[in-house]
Amino acid sequence: MRVYLQGVGAFGPGFANWSELQAILDGESSDSALPPAPKPSVIPANERRRAPMAVRIAVETCSQAVAMSGIDPKDAACVFASGHGDTQLTDYMCRELAGEHKQLSPTKFHNSVHNAAAGYWTIATGCRQPANSVAGLHQSVAVTLLEAMSQCVCEQQPVLLAFYDTPTAAALSSLLPNEHAFGMALVITPGDDSGRATALTSAVTNDVSDSAYSETLPATLSHLVAENPAAKALLLAQALTRIAASSVTLTLGQGSALRIDIRPPSALLAGK
Amino acid sequence: MDIRLLDYQTTTAAWPHREGTRQAIENKTSGLSRNSLTGSEVDTWIGRVKQIDADANSNPLGEWQCRNNLLAHYCLQQGTFKTSLEAAIEHYGGARIGIIVGSSTSAIDRTEAAYHALDDHGQLSPEYQQPLVHNPHALGLYVAHLCAISGPTMTINTACSSSAKVFASAARWLACDLVDAVLVGGTDALGLSVVHGFDALQLVSNQPCRPFDQHRNGINIGEAAGFALLARNDHPFTDMGIALTGFGESSDAHHMSHPHPEGVGAQQAIEQALTRAGLDAADIDYINLHGTASLANDAIEGDVIQRLFPATTRCSSTKAWTGHTLGAAGITEALITAETLRCGIVPANLNLQAMDAKLNLPLSTDNQVKACRHALSNSFGFGGNNCSLVFSRCAETDKS
Repeated sequence: MRVYLQGVGAFGPGFANWSELQAILDGESSDSALPPAPKPSVIPANERRRAPMAVRIAVETCSQAVAMSGIDPKDAACVFASGHGDTQLTDYMCRELAGEHKQLSPTKFHNSVHNAAAGYWTIATGCRQPANSVAGLHQSVAVTLLEAMSQCVCEQQPVLLAFYDTPTAAALSSLLPNEHAFGMALVITPGDDSGRATALTSAVTNDVSDSAYSETLPATLSHLVAENPAAKALLLAQALTRIAASSVTLTLGQGSALRIDIRPPSALLAGK
Repeated sequence: MDIRLLDYQTTTAAWPHREGTRQAIENKTSGLSRNSLTGSEVDTWIGRVKQIDADANSNPLGEWQCRNNLLAHYCLQQGTFKTSLEAAIEHYGGARIGIIVGSSTSAIDRTEAAYHALDDHGQLSPEYQQPLVHNPHALGLYVAHLCAISGPTMTINTACSSSAKVFASAARWLACDLVDAVLVGGTDALGLSVVHGFDALQLVSNQPCRPFDQHRNGINIGEAAGFALLARNDHPFTDMGIALTGFGESSDAHHMSHPHPEGVGAQQAIEQALTRAGLDAADIDYINLHGTASLANDAIEGDVIQRLFPATTRCSSTKAWTGHTLGAAGITEALITAETLRCGIVPANLNLQAMDAKLNLPLSTDNQVKACRHALSNSFGFGGNNCSLVFSRCAETDKS
């Protein structure tokens, strides 16, 4: 399957957007503190106050990616992915239900659905396209890429992808250790009239391991990839910042993997 | 589009397996019972799969133990499903078979239990230290483990449309030749979070649910599991004589927990499914409605159906048999739809006494014997997430 990358958004420790993440991937040192919580302006202020942190990060990175792509968000199908889900809301509900009164907040209950970010995004942008919300634990990024690329090719439609995971609630942190928030979003299209977009070509292979990253990524990002399921997207981000053609492999299941070959636009190759 | 169902199984409160579906429909035997969840005082009815209760109180699945996985395990053992799956693995190889399952609550039943038994440091006690269970992909991981499938594995969590959307994704994976077969499915287990969550939204009924009734007053939560093995139509096996011929997916872009008042998203999903199937509304012989028995859903969905379909198109909600099985509702009702096509018995709209006065739908309190060729199934979820599926009976391979 071949698709074209039209936009990227990012948010995480030390970066509030894709260009800041690119600088870190290029070797620039950075403060690894998380930037201030995003306030995506696409969500009206009263709704934004009710939106969980995971939703705000997802919507912020989507806004960045869509802006870069120049595509109307009303035209893009979307696939949202979180490997751990919103453990803060899981924690809230399970604590309340283990208590005497068992009174759940209706807003927190409807925000607890895994597709909360997809809901907030489509409501905020007026998007009536198909919206998906998927999970694959440590394979979340790989299966989301597979799902979104097949949708993009089959339906001949732009697709917005969002990967995001936030720090795990204390009671679950020994099982699903993750201390940092991370989000990344991509916009892909089935064709590219401009000739300026990076081509992503994928194939399902029988590999059973992810591309090695611990030697090549800065330590702070390497730690993020190891813990935060959404941060596997950094392997793709790293490959995207290379000037030469490159590839990345991400496991999909116990005996299959997604290999993505990345071919930068010829203008970029010729210019450097 | 012609994606074949090689085999399928369904477990609900009203029937333990596919073979029991026809009998429960014919006898109009509902699976609903009074809320019996430990620690819950919500005055409502639920659809409980009692066959797994004994295993839920012991620990037969070990590190995989949770009620949601028990439902999946039980359903996958029924009928010929395992044999069909093994034949597909033998023929295609486990890495060429994908898994796409849907769940809304995943294993939160187990997380709820774990929070009742936190240790002195506020951490989960040893028996609940199950990283592969306390996450939203628990069902996909367990099914891959149980069935020895090593291809791409994904769990869709789009609330009540989750396990309808599995068919759409599977059709695309097959069309792109990423895999040769897909095990699709869905399970959702009863737990306090859903019963008390929907109660907080004032959406649960204190009586057995009455979809489309003038005096309906809310939903009953149910649990269920369903699985189907899908392949392109050039497969070498004996299939069920049923094909997925269309799907439509859309978003309401309206509200997190309330459907769009004119049902624009629902209409878009239905129209897209019909277009993909190459059918007109008049070609549809039966519609399995989402029909939750909430005031809003039934009014809005009923209106959309009246707008799009002729007054002769039979339709019904089957939720008075099963309850609203949330993340498992999509596949449960897709498979009821498939059974309707296979057996030629259109299910009644169980528990209907007087139809909503604002609606004029061709609902009946009786089952109807009718040979159906094409049928539609609707699933709508929180976040304004809609999916409609079209299934068709394949005349040339009908072995039923």
